[in-house]
Amino acid sequence: MPDELPELNPVIHGKLRLALLSLLAGVEEAEFTWLRNRTGATDGNLGAQLAKLEEAGYVVVEKKFVLRKPQTLYRMTEAGRAALTEYVRALKQLLGGAIEV
Amino acid sequence: MTEKMPEQELKDRLNLIETMIAEGRRKTESWGWTFVLWGVAYYVAIAWSSCGHARLAWPVTMIAASVLTGVVVSVRSGRQPETTMGRAIGSLWGAMGISIFLLLMSLAWSGHYESHTFVAIIGAMLGMTNAASSMILKWKMQFGCALVWWAAAVAACFGTESQSSIAFLAAIFVCQIVFGIYGMVVESHKRSRQGDNPRGSNQGAAHA
Repeated sequence: MPDELPELNPVIHGKLRLALLSLLAGVEEAEFTWLRNRTGATDGNLGAQLAKLEEAGYVVVEKKFVLRKPQTLYRMTEAGRAALTEYVRALKQLLGGAIEV
Repeated sequence: MTEKMPEQELKDRLNLIETMIAEGRRKTESWGWTFVLWGVAYYVAIAWSSCGHARLAWPVTMIAASVLTGVVVSVRSGRQPETTMGRAIGSLWGAMGISIFLLLMSLAWSGHYESHTFVAIIGAMLGMTNAASSMILKWKMQFGCALVWWAAAVAACFGTESQSSIAFLAAIFVCQIVFGIYGMVVESHKRSRQGDNPRGSNQGAAHA
């Protein structure tokens, strides 16, 4: 094993938060309901996890009305993309270490 | 946390990331219906103009089809995330629609309208747009539509007026009606395979 293992970002490490950030990495923006459908999460849990990502500056939220219906859109920030990239790099490094053992 | 994490869990995290990114990028838009709608619109315009209202038939039908497409797309897009690919395809068709509209309306109102030129322009532009779209989407079947439209454009240049009209009607049938229905069937199968229901196949990500 390498002497110093990389630390995994705890904000991204949560399974649902990781799934959300990965989903947002593949699209420009996504609606709350689409994210809910793709992850199978409950409204409450999804809202809480998205709030944590927003608090960390990894996603931004935009609320608007389309045809008089409220719509909540989430978009990944540059900081979020950088954090996900770093998380993947750390995971691969850890896996490399594990394989070496 | 890091030191105690088993190797399988690390791999599961990587798999989750890959799966979710692919899920986000997966083409979720449905466009088959637009081909059918525009095919029907062309037929309506042709039938109407054959009754002697050519100057009115095409602008009214095309504007009505554009408005209908715009309304349906705006309603549906609210349910789907915007992707770069979706925007590229949408821009391509939008730009083609504006070009074709401006050109043909100008020809009609200036009195320079001629049926061979009309079919050649529509055929060439639809051929170009279908070809570009098929290359972006890597959809061979759509490239076949481009070939049919280009063939209709060439036929319009060399054939008689009736041959040109037959080529146009045949191209509309194959590339709009048949291809549109085929697209709708393919999209329907994809949606059923993806399991678009709220509690679908991604339960593994449901808990933080």
